[in-house]
Amino acid sequence: MSKIGLIIAREYTTRVRKKSFILMSFFGPLLIVGFILLTAHLSSREKEKYEILVVDESHLFDSILRNSPKYHLQWAPKEKNYDEIQELFKKDTDLDLLVYLPVNLIKTNSMTAKCLYKDIPSTGVQKHLSGVINEAIELYRVSFNNIDISTYKSIKTRINLDVVDIENKANKNIQRKAFVGIVFSMFIYFFIFIYSVQVMRGVIEEKSNRIVEIIISSVSTFELMMAKIIGVGLVGITQFIIWTAVTFIMSITILPQIIPNKFNPSSQLQSEKLLENNPLIDPSNEILQFIIYEIQWPYLILFFILFFLGGYFLYSGLMAAIGAAVDEEADTQQFLLPLTIPMVFALTMAGKVIDDPSSSLSFWLSEIPFTSPIIMMVRIAMGIGDSSVEVWEIILSLFLLITTFIGTTWLSSKIYSKGILSYGKKVSYSEILKWLRS
Amino acid sequence: MSSKNIIEIENLHKSYSSHKALNNINLNIEKSKIFGLLGPNGAGKTTLIRIINQILKPDSGTVKFDGELLSRKHIHYIGYLPEERGLYKKMKVGEQALYLAQLKGLSKKDAKEKLHYWFEKLGATNWWNKKIEDLSKGMAQKIQFITTVLHEPKVLILDEPLSGLDPVNSLMIKKEILELKKKKTSIILSTHDMNSVEEICDEAAIINHSEKIMQGGIQELKDKYQEKTWTIKYKGNQMSFTNAVWGGWEIINHEKINDNSNRAEIRLLSQLTINQFIKGIVDHVEIIEVNIKSPSIQEVFIKATANE
Repeated sequence: MSKIGLIIAREYTTRVRKKSFILMSFFGPLLIVGFILLTAHLSSREKEKYEILVVDESHLFDSILRNSPKYHLQWAPKEKNYDEIQELFKKDTDLDLLVYLPVNLIKTNSMTAKCLYKDIPSTGVQKHLSGVINEAIELYRVSFNNIDISTYKSIKTRINLDVVDIENKANKNIQRKAFVGIVFSMFIYFFIFIYSVQVMRGVIEEKSNRIVEIIISSVSTFELMMAKIIGVGLVGITQFIIWTAVTFIMSITILPQIIPNKFNPSSQLQSEKLLENNPLIDPSNEILQFIIYEIQWPYLILFFILFFLGGYFLYSGLMAAIGAAVDEEADTQQFLLPLTIPMVFALTMAGKVIDDPSSSLSFWLSEIPFTSPIIMMVRIAMGIGDSSVEVWEIILSLFLLITTFIGTTWLSSKIYSKGILSYGKKVSYSEILKWLRS
Repeated sequence: MSSKNIIEIENLHKSYSSHKALNNINLNIEKSKIFGLLGPNGAGKTTLIRIINQILKPDSGTVKFDGELLSRKHIHYIGYLPEERGLYKKMKVGEQALYLAQLKGLSKKDAKEKLHYWFEKLGATNWWNKKIEDLSKGMAQKIQFITTVLHEPKVLILDEPLSGLDPVNSLMIKKEILELKKKKTSIILSTHDMNSVEEICDEAAIINHSEKIMQGGIQELKDKYQEKTWTIKYKGNQMSFTNAVWGGWEIINHEKINDNSNRAEIRLLSQLTINQFIKGIVDHVEIIEVNIKSPSIQEVFIKATANE
């Protein structure tokens, strides 16, 4: 094996054999799947039955509003005023909600109904209640105006606005896809950060225990730096592949058993129909099906690896230079801050990119190499070749990323070769500039 | 054509941004000898060693290895034990030794065989599967010594190889260094331990303020700082001894050994020779022993660097 191969192998094997790596390889996916399950569970976890106390000042709703298995209505005593009823509601532990329908609600459109709660109801419940009240008012007005109920039903429409890309009509759910992109961009941020910091720590370790002098008497400083970056990068790729594989296996084995029927494609259509009819249907069904069937996983994974590698090489070269310039980790702060700012900035701008993925802000952030790995993941997740991102933009972004990391690696190697043998003094930016000029 | 010297350094200059580290160094290191590289802290020794190791490039001047201009192919012929020693703390001893040996160009198989030989020789066999962080400083130092000599380099550069070792291990390493010399290894020993220099070095050079101020065999260096100081053991009266010769010498120290015998340490001044001095005292006291008092290498070092 060549010397560089030896160093890469050492960097790789010492890290993948660590207990922390093995634990993270398997617990990482568990955390991801657990997070998905928890989200699905929390979003579907609602009380099975709501006891609702209704204050109907107009006394017109009692004939229109009806009990349902989930929503049990109790009518507030007519002799008590609103304040007394609120006290009653507070004391009665069986009551979940207090719905207040003011006297003029049914006649004017300017009044507001109120819903008082002890534990905040989900948005689904809120939507349901507001829908039921609206429908009741409409029905009252239909009857009041002597309109035939069947005529009313034929007039009444519920239009959903489907936002569809003209070039690719299958490209729906773009905002949700962007959410997946955000998740990926956070992963890429963490992967780039965690592994490039590992490079920096490795360099500091070698410098502080002076073994670096023995190694660079066998290989050049550039070879050592690159071998370290490649070795640690391979650890990152390995971890990602393990995560992907374990998550995939768990998704097809464990999840269907925990949430039966939610992974059955044939139920998808049925589910969509139900959704149209009932806004309160368990949303986890749809989210999970969306995650599994609508995301272009192969592309996302491929570009994740490419942009991770590009971003990782860019940042880890600079981190290696920082590691070489300092004597101990505590001295790295002043140099780390300028490196983390672009990445954190990119993460905070991801929301803007989702709002308008084809804006010039989105374009530039996904082309500038210091932010592109994070922002491009959001745009790619929203659809390649669609209104989000064109293929040429991805190619240009990768090209810029590669050329920039070649440039920064060259600069980093200059700092690295000088810094690695410089001991015992605090290095400043001006000192680093001197190294670069020499 | 094979050269007499393993290392030949000519007009070597090296500057860092803020100061001159080496100024016109010329140095020859003979084959199969132990060469002491001496100098105060910051004199330029480490820079010189790093240039020989090709960790640093000189600004000008040449370094020849066995008659050839120093190049990357010579890396395998050099073994280097840096002063501030360290190994990967979390790595196992055997694994780490194998890694470093392979970096020096040994095959895994050869490295294993040689490692087993050396581990046995230095009593380190049981440490193979231990992590470096579980070893004492002395044990780790032995491991590092093994990894330095394992690939049988032609030149061995040892920077303070004995610092931190207990007397037993120190003796063991000295013995190994001498054995390596017997096996024709040329050794550069950079140290502040002047006793070791006296004990095992054949030649030495002193570097001070980036310049070589002297070089030669150990006795040769001592002779340069020979101050005509003699120790004379005699029987007789101290007054008779001191009054025997009038002028041209001074007494540095005088002590009574027993009722009859004394020991005097004298320094001859101006043109007075030891023969003339002895002629002067021989009729007044009985001379038992006359020895020239040679300066130690430590004294040579202090005087040489103080003169600069």
